[in-house]
Amino acid sequence: MTRSRARTSGLRRTPARAVARLGELFDGYLDPARPHADAYDEMFGEDSSVRSAYRALYDSIAPSQVAELTARSEALDRAFVDQGITFSLSGQERPFPLDLIPRVLTAAEWSKLERGIVQRVRALELFLADIYGDAQIVRDGVLPRRLITSCEHFHREATLLKPPNGVRLHVSGVDLVRDESGTFRVLEDNLRCPSGVSYVMENRRTMARVFPDLFARHRVRSVGDYAVHLLRALRNAAAPNAADPNVVVLTPGVANSAYFEHSLLARQMGVELVEGRDLFCRDNVVYLRTTEGERQVDVIYRRIDDDFLDPVHFRPDSVLGVAGLLNAARAGNVVIANAVGNGVADDKLVYTYLPEIVQYYLGEKPLLPNVDTFRCWLPEERAHVLDHLDELVVKPVEGSGGYGIVFGPQASTRELNALRRTIRANPRGWIAQPVVQLSTVPTKVGDRLAPRHVDLRPFAVNDGNSIFVLPGGLTRVALPEGSLIVNSSQGGGSKDTWVLAARSSTVDRELAEPGLATSAVESPAAEQGPELTTSQQQQQQQQEKGA
Amino acid sequence: MSWRVRVVHTTGYRYALPVTQSYNEARMTPRADRRQNVVVSRVETTPATRAYRYTDYWGTEVTSFDLHAPHAELKVVASSVVETGAEEEPVRTGTWADLRADALVDRYTEFLDWTAYVPRDRELAAVARELKRGAGLSDAVLAASHWVHEQLTYRSGATGVHSSATDAWQAREGVCQDFAHLTLVLLRAMGIPARYVSGYLHTKPDGEIRETVRGESHAWIEAWTGGWWGYDPTNAIPVGPRHIWVAHGRDYADVAPLKGIYSGGASSALEVTVDVTRLA
Repeated sequence: MTRSRARTSGLRRTPARAVARLGELFDGYLDPARPHADAYDEMFGEDSSVRSAYRALYDSIAPSQVAELTARSEALDRAFVDQGITFSLSGQERPFPLDLIPRVLTAAEWSKLERGIVQRVRALELFLADIYGDAQIVRDGVLPRRLITSCEHFHREATLLKPPNGVRLHVSGVDLVRDESGTFRVLEDNLRCPSGVSYVMENRRTMARVFPDLFARHRVRSVGDYAVHLLRALRNAAAPNAADPNVVVLTPGVANSAYFEHSLLARQMGVELVEGRDLFCRDNVVYLRTTEGERQVDVIYRRIDDDFLDPVHFRPDSVLGVAGLLNAARAGNVVIANAVGNGVADDKLVYTYLPEIVQYYLGEKPLLPNVDTFRCWLPEERAHVLDHLDELVVKPVEGSGGYGIVFGPQASTRELNALRRTIRANPRGWIAQPVVQLSTVPTKVGDRLAPRHVDLRPFAVNDGNSIFVLPGGLTRVALPEGSLIVNSSQGGGSKDTWVLAARSSTVDRELAEPGLATSAVESPAAEQGPELTTSQQQQQQQQEKGA
Repeated sequence: MSWRVRVVHTTGYRYALPVTQSYNEARMTPRADRRQNVVVSRVETTPATRAYRYTDYWGTEVTSFDLHAPHAELKVVASSVVETGAEEEPVRTGTWADLRADALVDRYTEFLDWTAYVPRDRELAAVARELKRGAGLSDAVLAASHWVHEQLTYRSGATGVHSSATDAWQAREGVCQDFAHLTLVLLRAMGIPARYVSGYLHTKPDGEIRETVRGESHAWIEAWTGGWWGYDPTNAIPVGPRHIWVAHGRDYADVAPLKGIYSGGASSALEVTVDVTRLA
């Protein structure tokens, strides 16, 4: 798959004719009879031309033989098993399927997304500070109070608990989909313990190993320095008088499906990975038990849900958390990241008020639109939903991972009737959305490439000075034909997500752009290979010394 | 007229085996408002420890403390001197129409919602409809309180700390907590914002000055009928100088006087005593 081979194939710069002469890999790709044929395909435009983001990639892969594709695919699977990346599906371990065709975003597409995400995180930070403070937005009548008080994750325990640098959204995961016109829309926010960033980093490492030639032909922005940004955000979050803040990652333990990610992040940041039983509070100070005695902890990057975090305030039977943690944070002696009670901002009903929230706090219009959503708690909208259940996707406002979602068009009459009763009994608990036809990207299915639906979860890190968005994010892909459910817990796969660097120097452009963070560690714009970053090497040494 | 009252509230736990770690929160500090002035107040523990104070979502002063030395008994003593207010008159400025306004319903949504202690109940809703018929707002509050006072027999030990209003209603007996919860069910069914109040009661209407009486931890309700005002359904009396206010919330769970967790085996509650002395 070299440049010269692509040229000799005669496919370059003849996109309109390309489809007719697609290599055998793309046999039947644009079959008009395929499910959701009006979905936006990210590689091919309406006239079957190859979109600019994918042109070089297409030129590289189109001439390939099926055998070559299969060989690469096997190499990919082996690499994953070697690295031990799995995700639990119904209790069984299986390799998290990484598709071998990357998803590509141009510099211009990304820059728009990045601005939209930064704006969203800024607004949500102000919203959370307000809700757990004076609730001015409610007093001003912009949002109903009962919208807030009826949120399952509105935690009154977090009232007046002010983080030292004001940050509550240390890490946000904003789920995006791309509608039929190619417009990115926000499907939901993940503001509690968003997971998946380890797949972004590992997917890239694996792809760089298996496809070094592709990376040589593209300027793909790096994702390797995520941990640098996260560590800075966590250290900045510490109380001002913590000179050299002690940061730890708090995991529920090895049985957790994201344990791999917890350990990877701890290792890359060079900080301790701890469980609840390793920590204790005394006089509102948190200590880590070590072989050399107690060591004070300043910042806890916790990957445990609020409900299990502190048995004094939440579930008293929790053995995963640390008793007294919340009051230690209230006293200003430790910082919990992400903050307690963030779930009020990612409730799917609160989500529908995001335009009002952005307008109220920033005086701006949202740069990224939401997906159109009907609110079952408003009588007129509920009536519409009940009349059109068979056309809508109905979702519980609470819950994640795709659980509890009903696809109207695929549900039986009996299921719809049951759903109707459920909605009437608890209208606050449900929202409904048109069946969004997620965009498609070529995906290996058997020995061919076929369109499969994708979403995108970029990760934003707020260090208190600026909001950094990791270029790309986790692209999840629904593997069964026609499926719109991309959750890994529902058997979805993933793709490496490429953000192409702008022609001009990315670093210069980022420096010139106000409001966007640049990397402290200047990393090359293009990912050349799977080498460890400096920080990773240092951390591994520290880990060994500490063991 | 108002009283000056000293309250000494003693509570705690006794453990089967010495406990080495315990984390607790006490909500035992009387609050100041337009009808109650707190002269002095403190919360002390045995074994002694360093306490941390904060104000919670409901405005209650919380004393949080943790213990790390082995102890077989934890004693918490809250002592305060407060000046209580005169007997409260019902607020009569509100109307049923006011309570139907969306802005008001939204403002007091938390005091209209059902909770585990104050659950929706069809039978009690029918009672509420009957009681409010033809009555003004504040008279409906009085009617509900008096109905509860007549229906329930006061018997300590009849219900537990986790009993809901409907548990007490089915048993037809309970303690002040149950009287308050049951009244809240009726008021919220009527659409009247209503909240749970915890505090203390001086048991003698004509308390002698300097005489210490064995008082009690007490609970009553406040209703919004154009403004907030309190009534005591357990005794069917207005809230007055004998009532010392500590906290309010949606139900008991928001204002529990002492809660905590510890590592170790079985525990039993210490005898709770509330010594109330009228000082002036």
